[in-house]
Amino acid sequence: MSCVSRSGPSPLPRVSELPPVSEEDFRKVCEFLYRQTGMIFNESKRYYVDRRIGDRMTALGLTSFPLYFSRLRSDIEGEIETFINAFTVNETYFYREDHQLSCLTNDLLNELARTKRPGAPFRIWSAPCATGEEPYSIAIWLLENWRDVDKYEIEIVGSDIDTRCIEAARAGEYGARALMRLTPELIQKYFESVGEERWRIVLDLRDSVRFTSVNIVEPLDTWAHGTFDVIFCRNVLIYFDDASRRVAAENLYESLVPGGFICLGHTESMSRISPLFEVRRFVDAIVYQRPRGNAHG
Amino acid sequence: MPLIRKPPSGSLVPPPAPFDAAALSDGSSDVRWAAVRVAASRPDAVALLGGALARERDPRVREAIFSGLARIATEESAGIIVPYLRSEDASLRTGALDALHVMPAATAAYLPALVTDKDPDVRLLSCELARAQPAATANRLLCAVLDTDPEKNVCAAALDVLAETGGPEILASLNRCAQRFQDDPFLAFSIDVVRQQIGTQPASARE
Amino acid sequence: MAEGSKRVLIVDDAGLVRRFHRDALGQGGFDVAEALNGVEAMEKVLAEPFDLLVVDVNMPQMDGISFLKALRRQEGPTGAVPVLIVSTEAGPQDVEAARAVGANFYLVKPVRPEVLVEHAALMCGGVR
Repeated sequence: MSCVSRSGPSPLPRVSELPPVSEEDFRKVCEFLYRQTGMIFNESKRYYVDRRIGDRMTALGLTSFPLYFSRLRSDIEGEIETFINAFTVNETYFYREDHQLSCLTNDLLNELARTKRPGAPFRIWSAPCATGEEPYSIAIWLLENWRDVDKYEIEIVGSDIDTRCIEAARAGEYGARALMRLTPELIQKYFESVGEERWRIVLDLRDSVRFTSVNIVEPLDTWAHGTFDVIFCRNVLIYFDDASRRVAAENLYESLVPGGFICLGHTESMSRISPLFEVRRFVDAIVYQRPRGNAHG
Repeated sequence: MPLIRKPPSGSLVPPPAPFDAAALSDGSSDVRWAAVRVAASRPDAVALLGGALARERDPRVREAIFSGLARIATEESAGIIVPYLRSEDASLRTGALDALHVMPAATAAYLPALVTDKDPDVRLLSCELARAQPAATANRLLCAVLDTDPEKNVCAAALDVLAETGGPEILASLNRCAQRFQDDPFLAFSIDVVRQQIGTQPASARE
Repeated sequence: MAEGSKRVLIVDDAGLVRRFHRDALGQGGFDVAEALNGVEAMEKVLAEPFDLLVVDVNMPQMDGISFLKALRRQEGPTGAVPVLIVSTEAGPQDVEAARAVGANFYLVKPVRPEVLVEHAALMCGGVR
């Protein structure tokens, strides 16, 4: 994941010489993407999928669907990611996917706390953390929404493979768009104004989140971070190839305490990544758990 | 805001334990898991992991063994996994299949024999392995299945992959398969779908 | 989909099988959802109720037998949902392995559409 914000759907015009996407071509793309990512594209998205195929063919100068499908299937130059980026939100901002943050404080931490003594450490990992919005969001959310926040020693770590992201995260400076989901009260409390439309996380909060670099496909890298109670690993595994996904999932499994939880992005499913985790359904979200002890089938 | 503290970095992680081959078969599944992960980066990994796979009963530890072999991705490491496609245990078959799927180059040499194996269950699973191959390789292997395999379900597995990889060059085999299994509604349906997908494609447009 | 339709989850990694079964069950009056393997099936059954699961055995990540074991450990209606196995594995030991982990019925592929619909109707309580 890069800290350079990615653009949304490209509004390239359709080229009239391209043949229309046939029903079977549409279904072929949907089945392939479903198999690969778990994302469901059905008839209700037909218009957008057709347009995306047309846009990509135009951008690549391809004149036939089979040529494009062959490129997509082989994932040449990250074509799968390029294709589905039009259907996912790539912007990172504070309190994004806050249903998972609700799940964290309503269920996950309380369940984990049952086996912890007061004063015990709680470790939460945001990886990849991009420019820091997610780990700072977790910190603010806990301070605002978890009644037991004073009972434990909470450590939040944000990690990314991109060291420029880490630098930006440590600096903690953001524009108005990143703050759009926060109330004025929260901004007042946790940010200071540093110019027109620019805010900086207050020093105390910056000091309470540790930032490191990590390559989650590298076992020694993840090992060096110790074990965590909860890991947020959103919108990255879906873009890895099958072999890297497998290794990353095992690294993250090893980075969780038994009973610990991992949260993926809302369009991602562990079903395309690994069978190691148990699926848990809570009111606010589906999350994945490293089983306690040796419980397995 | 003293509630969330930033502890000194790096203090929590013990150094990795030295490798202990006995831990691959003794102790809790967590101990065996850790031993497998260390073994996977050793020069003698294939032999160690092969031995561990033969003994291991915990699906999660087996998963780590399969991953280690998949990461090595040589014909030798694939060769350790191939026999497990014959397992009576569905989870072991699945683990083997998934691991071979992520090392297509290492698996390629085994595929011609696997898709013509005497056991139809092995042939069926092997069709799915062809999905990870380049389209031309997959089409060649799977057209032979459509032409000759006596089992409907093996042909059906081949068709599912050909729906993704196939081009005009497979039409003749589709027709032959359709003639061989005229009475089966599922095969007729599958062949029809694959034909429709290919139908409008000009032959020159294929890779 | 008509109100009151019985809801069926098809769990199979083969796209053509899912499509064939979906067409058959859809025409038979069922409301159909799909999953590609046992992990996705578990995500789906935990998210919403189903009247019947039609489950393959050989699937990536989590096979049908492992899925059934995990399913039957769930509490309440989720863990008790009827399961029809539809597999290429035709040996008596395969049928026994599925029965032992809580499968309610077993059909060997390929299945004719009318046979699938008939079994689905029976297993959903005969009303659809």
